[in-house]
Amino acid sequence: MNLLARNKFNVDEELETPFNMAHLKRLLVYVKPFKTQIMITVIIMLIASGANLIGPYLIKQAIDKEIPSKNIAGLAILAGIYLVALIITGICMKFRIRMMSRIGHSVIKNIRKDLFTHLQNLSFSFFDSRPHGKILVRVVNYVNSLSDLLSNGLINLITDLFSLLVIVGFMVSINAKLAIFAMAGFPILAFVIFLIKNAQRKAWQNLSNKQSNLNAYIHESINGIKITQAFVREEENKKIFDGVSNGYKTSWLKAVRVQFLLWPAIENISVLTVSLIYVIGVSMIGNGITVGALVAFVGYIWMFWTPLANIGNFYNAIINASAYLERIFEMMDEQPTISDRPNAKELPMIKGAVEFDHVVFGYESSVRNLNQVSFRANPGETIAIVGPTGAGKTTIVNLLSRFYDIESGEIRIDGINIETVTIASLRKQMGVMLQDPFIFSGTIMDNIRYGRLDASDEEVIEAAIAVQAHPFINQLKQGYYTEVNERGSMLSNGQRQLLSFARALLADPKILILDEATSSIDTETELALQKGLETLLADRTSFIIAHRLSTIQNASKILYIDKGMIQEEGTHDELIRRRGLYWKLYTSHYSSLKVI
Amino acid sequence: MQSMRWAWQYIRKYKIRMIFGLALVLLVSALNMANPYLAGRIVDDVIYGEDRNRLWLILGLMIGFTVLRTIVRYGYQLMFESISQKVIFKMREHLFDRLMGLDFSFYDRTKTGEIMARMTGDMEAIRHFTAWTIYMIFENVTIFIFAVTFMFSVHVPLTLAILAVTPIIGFFAFRLSQDVKPTFTEIRNQFAKLNSVVQENISGNRVVKAFAKEHYEIEKFSNENNAFMAKNLQSAKIWEKYLPVLDSLAGVLTVVMILTGGFMVISGSLTIGELVMFNSLIWALNNPIRSAGWLINDVQRFIASAEKVEELLLTKSQIKNGNHRIGQEIEADIEFDHVYFSYGNGLALADISFTAKPGQTIAIIGPTGSGKSTLVHLLSRFYDVTDGAIKVGGRDVKEWDLHQLRSSMGMVMQDIFLFSDTIEGNIAYGKPDASMEAVQLAARQAEANDFIGMLPEGYDTIVGERGVGLSGGQKQRIALARALLKDPKILILDDTTSSVDMETEERIQKTLNSIQEGKTCFIIAHRISSVKEADLILVLNNGRIIERGTHGELLSQKGYYSHVFQNQYGNFDIHLMAGM
Repeated sequence: MNLLARNKFNVDEELETPFNMAHLKRLLVYVKPFKTQIMITVIIMLIASGANLIGPYLIKQAIDKEIPSKNIAGLAILAGIYLVALIITGICMKFRIRMMSRIGHSVIKNIRKDLFTHLQNLSFSFFDSRPHGKILVRVVNYVNSLSDLLSNGLINLITDLFSLLVIVGFMVSINAKLAIFAMAGFPILAFVIFLIKNAQRKAWQNLSNKQSNLNAYIHESINGIKITQAFVREEENKKIFDGVSNGYKTSWLKAVRVQFLLWPAIENISVLTVSLIYVIGVSMIGNGITVGALVAFVGYIWMFWTPLANIGNFYNAIINASAYLERIFEMMDEQPTISDRPNAKELPMIKGAVEFDHVVFGYESSVRNLNQVSFRANPGETIAIVGPTGAGKTTIVNLLSRFYDIESGEIRIDGINIETVTIASLRKQMGVMLQDPFIFSGTIMDNIRYGRLDASDEEVIEAAIAVQAHPFINQLKQGYYTEVNERGSMLSNGQRQLLSFARALLADPKILILDEATSSIDTETELALQKGLETLLADRTSFIIAHRLSTIQNASKILYIDKGMIQEEGTHDELIRRRGLYWKLYTSHYSSLKVI
Repeated sequence: MQSMRWAWQYIRKYKIRMIFGLALVLLVSALNMANPYLAGRIVDDVIYGEDRNRLWLILGLMIGFTVLRTIVRYGYQLMFESISQKVIFKMREHLFDRLMGLDFSFYDRTKTGEIMARMTGDMEAIRHFTAWTIYMIFENVTIFIFAVTFMFSVHVPLTLAILAVTPIIGFFAFRLSQDVKPTFTEIRNQFAKLNSVVQENISGNRVVKAFAKEHYEIEKFSNENNAFMAKNLQSAKIWEKYLPVLDSLAGVLTVVMILTGGFMVISGSLTIGELVMFNSLIWALNNPIRSAGWLINDVQRFIASAEKVEELLLTKSQIKNGNHRIGQEIEADIEFDHVYFSYGNGLALADISFTAKPGQTIAIIGPTGSGKSTLVHLLSRFYDVTDGAIKVGGRDVKEWDLHQLRSSMGMVMQDIFLFSDTIEGNIAYGKPDASMEAVQLAARQAEANDFIGMLPEGYDTIVGERGVGLSGGQKQRIALARALLKDPKILILDDTTSSVDMETEERIQKTLNSIQEGKTCFIIAHRISSVKEADLILVLNNGRIIERGTHGELLSQKGYYSHVFQNQYGNFDIHLMAGM
């Protein structure tokens, strides 16, 4: 019994910590290294807006002065200045595009890298407890959705704030009293934003969940396609997919329905405020304000709402992005259940003595999967672990690699408690062949070399020869350079097991763990493999889990596991003499053969 | 254009709504001019003209127009969003449909991450295009045409002079669209690679940890992550080359207007009032040109993605559906008639001939990679034979309706895949409407009921993707229950009990024997104990049948089979049996 998954594709994930200011601060940490570039960009944009403002002034000059006075030279000069201003704007724009895309994409890249790096530290249980599509969507798609906020949003925010200040400054300098009225819209706008915010937050959280569900379902559908076709489930799955896809569609429309409310709100509040200013301003004419001043003032008041609307937009973008950010940071905050202790040391080169000392372990606290397990393996010994399925055989070898931490007792290698050494130094000295042979996309050569990245081609081929994989690889058109992928196209399960075996062997480990390593390999190949391995295994401690008795008979020691405990322990001959569980297992195997 | 035509098939359905929406866009563009105009009137009539009473009327109009405009705008925005979501929904549905129908050879050569990229990133680019870009293009084009028409009506020579700049703008816009297109293709291809590298890292996390290769994985990921940034920046480089030029050229229109307009006024062929009118409209030429660059980007991004999506939709399955259906179940007699098969890399199967009658069990044994799984995959028509024929129920498998053919079969594949669903859901996968009793019966037959009962949540326990969390033997038994629940005429067990202990395997075999009436059963295995009871044992080697017969016959042939038997049982001491 193993730790079982909590989440499936059609269940929204619960959120541990919703978005808060701390998240925003963490985002700013990523932006901080670029503060100089951001400042430069802001300055460039200010120059550009200055150059932009000259335009209307030049036109006004031309129409009011140069043309009526038929001054062709003056007109030409104005046109010349205008052209220079255009060139300056163009150059500024070039810089802005360059800077913004650099900053935006660098931040995205760094966030994604941190997220991925953290993901590498997370334990099996994290990967086992949710559909893989839901992890994928966070690393790839969610991070991508921040791109717009980070590239355009941030810099626009700074420049908009700046122009807002300038405009307010102008307005105050013209008439402070009117300027205060001009800001009467602020509290109303703040209130409306407050009203919309909660609904919008919920809508986008819901949307990110639905996106995650959709991704999970697509991902699983691709990986399980062979089962789907074999079981003629296509029509049923299309219906499910339509449901999940429709969930995404509906939540999208719900989200934009709320989000789009912001702009009408800003525009209507702005027109109301402007009307108020006109009414008050007109009544104030001759009574604290001149006609000229009022005209100038109302000229600014329209300009005043443009940056404000942009800031509203930015706020919108933050609200939307927070639905993704909170998920990204949630994953970054996920604590690995297995990690190096603070004072963990490197495990020195080991000889391979393994000792389990009253080990107690449960995947979940309520269940005990291993109870008081104790045994010793000397360097170079081969330990076979047998017993019914689900008895705890895989659990024992999983604990040895410290994929899980034990509840009580101790596991020692060469007398060193494995919890006191770094995980990397421990696992590097072990070669593990897992039950599910996983093949990475790439060449066969790459897949075997995964065991030891600096191995030469010759060493890879040697390992393949040792595990009897060489003959079939050689038969492929491109031999070791044949491209394979995750689903191991065209390779049989047995062939994938052989590759995975070669990979484990290439790591040149002192401790070799073979978990059903040969279950799909034929007896002939297996025997040849065993002969070839004898010398290779001589100075390694190996653990073999298998059901085929021919595989285990020659082990130095056989452990019979049932119900999480070692029921019997000894060599094949000892256990047979004992006439206990192993004997029963062994003879029942043969008794089924009526021919004997 | 090909992509546009393809997208149009989906959009066409909403033609009327789209036209209505675009009309609303026009209305809003017109209303957009109201506020500046009214503001001007306030300055002229109310402030300078001292007609204070008109203020209320003008303000009323201003507020009224704004309310109307924002409502209409909100309306058409939602309308375009709704249309685009419907379009995307249909496209996604078709894509999924296609994915369900594509054959094994497609999945053998295509990475999961690549398909994921099409279903996510590419769909997003298409969504953006239909929800936003289409009406933005329309809005800009209509504003431009409107302004040009109006200008022509005022003064033809000046309008022509201003428009003289547009061929240059057109030239740069064209160059932009040419240069930027490949960069978007590269971005989306790199996005697919990024997807693949992360996807494989997640799927293979156990191997990564077992080999302590986290650093290598980070390096591998960083390469793709950095490349993704680089491709994006490469695209930005094209933008920074052309967008400022387009932006400045838009301003040049104004310069041309004031210079030639000025000359014309001075020479008397244009009035100053007309020039002012041109000036007040010049934004309607400038803005569309400024937006053109960004819109071209959007269009090219759309095309790059649409091409990939369309390519997937056009991928043909090599397995063509037959059209023969019958009212009752297919009879389970099977004939392989000189079957040859190749994956394209030498012959995987050669000259395979045998027959099986209902009630019989055919066992297949042989070295790794000898073609055992391939043989049963051909029976389910996951691949088509290269030569020869396979007959089920007296008919070539190619003639049968695929669904009916596969419905008659229950298969347990070698590589067990479970879905992240409850155990009940997994067992009932082939028969979603099965009752709980039926699910439990199948689980009992597969010897899975006991361990499921021991799980804290029993049949409601959710197992992870690929069944992580269960031992190999447990997964195999759930997969067996899944196949048995279908109560199929043809049962195919590909290495199904390799991770199950002997005693359990024996019990499973007894159960299978008791329910076998009228069924044909294929068993692929390596253990003699799994195959010895079969009516016919085929020994495969290098894609050929090298021995055939029953257990007894094969033992007396003293060939490969008897050799395997010797290896598995040869050194067994019969006396140990005493006391059993």
